[in-house]
Amino acid sequence: MQTNVPTTSTVLQSLLRADLKTQWRNRRAVILTIAVPVLILYAWRPLVEKAGGPFILGSCITVGLMATGLMGYTNSIAKDRDKGIFQRLRVAPLPSWTIMASRLLVQLLMIFIITGAVLISGYALDNITIPLAGYALAFLAAIVGAAVYLALGQLIVGLIKNPEIVNATTRLVYFVFIMVGMFGSTGLLGKITEQYVIWTPYGTVQTIIAGAVDPSKWTTTTTQALLVTIGYAVVLFVIGIRKFQWSYK
Amino acid sequence: MSDEKNFILDVDNLSIYYGNFQAVKDVSFHVKAGEIFGLLGPNGAGKTSTLSAIDGLLKPHSGIIVVAGYNTKEKPLYAKASMGIQLQSTNFQPELTVEEIIELFAGIYGVDLSKQKLDKLISENNLQESRNKKFGQLSGGQQQRVSLSLCVLHDPKLLLLDEPTTGLDPQSRRQLWERMEAMREKGHGILLTTHSMEEAEAVCDRIAIIDHGKIIEIGVPQTLIDKHRNDPEVIAVSRKGKITLEDVFIGLTGREVRV
Repeated sequence: MQTNVPTTSTVLQSLLRADLKTQWRNRRAVILTIAVPVLILYAWRPLVEKAGGPFILGSCITVGLMATGLMGYTNSIAKDRDKGIFQRLRVAPLPSWTIMASRLLVQLLMIFIITGAVLISGYALDNITIPLAGYALAFLAAIVGAAVYLALGQLIVGLIKNPEIVNATTRLVYFVFIMVGMFGSTGLLGKITEQYVIWTPYGTVQTIIAGAVDPSKWTTTTTQALLVTIGYAVVLFVIGIRKFQWSYK
Repeated sequence: MSDEKNFILDVDNLSIYYGNFQAVKDVSFHVKAGEIFGLLGPNGAGKTSTLSAIDGLLKPHSGIIVVAGYNTKEKPLYAKASMGIQLQSTNFQPELTVEEIIELFAGIYGVDLSKQKLDKLISENNLQESRNKKFGQLSGGQQQRVSLSLCVLHDPKLLLLDEPTTGLDPQSRRQLWERMEAMREKGHGILLTTHSMEEAEAVCDRIAIIDHGKIIEIGVPQTLIDKHRNDPEVIAVSRKGKITLEDVFIGLTGREVRV
């Protein structure tokens, strides 16, 4: 009967292995998360010439990031909290932050998969070519952008305890962001909406990804969008973490 | 403070508040190595709050908790590593198989899990047929056995079992009692909460009765029965003329139903 406290890296590896398996077993949801932006990419083929490849890629990656950050991450946290899975982990000899870190690392992998899938599909379906630096920067911008949606998800799961209501709320927010963000940014909802949409959590992320995909077109507005994106992520994460409770029972 | 060297668990003057409500009031008790200690009380008496303070889910307002020599405030990870815990409503990822859950917790508790050790753990808990099934596909009894197998995975000095036999059939319950007794023989200390007086009488070496956040009695079950057998409140609730632990419990905590 020796008391043995494992190292943080051992704990994190075990959690990560389990979380990756869980994600893999939910691969249908993962496929849907990837399929939606790819379908939009395909549907927007006629717009590539007019709107430009970076804009289209930026929009599609943003939609994918919203789906994984807002719905995938948030709903899994709400569900596991409600079932008491976190409580069992928290009575084990591990720092609580490792539980969330493992979940976020799985999301990081999802961000790479979504971004990669959209960039490859953009080339295959719409023949959108981007410079080599654009690929690397797109992944970096996707991480920064996804942080906003993960933070928003953290806020939702911090404010709402019922997993069903969390699920409904994330779907509603996702729908509103897509409708207002996507159609607003194309000018379909009028000039004024188009002007303001760029500063919404949808617009700033779409702008920085589009700017990263084609670094030659990075402007002052893109830099401002990056700063606003970081601001959104920080503020939402701080409030979300402060409001978050591991259990409501 | 009591001499913690002889105790696997030492709780000293524990107080827990929820807002302005004091759920646990200056509770003190200890559990020795090789002892099964039962914490009994009506609903809302403070049993689970006390357990939550010991396992680190709740931050006590005041008091000292020492597990296997580790103060839970100063060395929380060591204290947690010295405990095997079965919570009242434990759940695991429904997508993971029994084997995968055991592997996860082996990693978390720093246990080197060989194939032989895994097989032994699975057979000891009668999980052979469900080892490759996902947790979400298991029956309540099987889920309970998985939870219990994780409790003993790292050979902890103290076991905390929060109503472990709730929902078990008589065979499974009897088997669990035998396992608890086997753990006691090996020198593990066990803190058990239960609503079953039959269980408390059958397996506990000592019990504490807690009500309204305070320990109102503590001792060996038979000694408590002998001590209170002539109390008018106990005689009033006794059935068939024989005084049982349940009569003593109801006599001390009252007849009204708690929710």
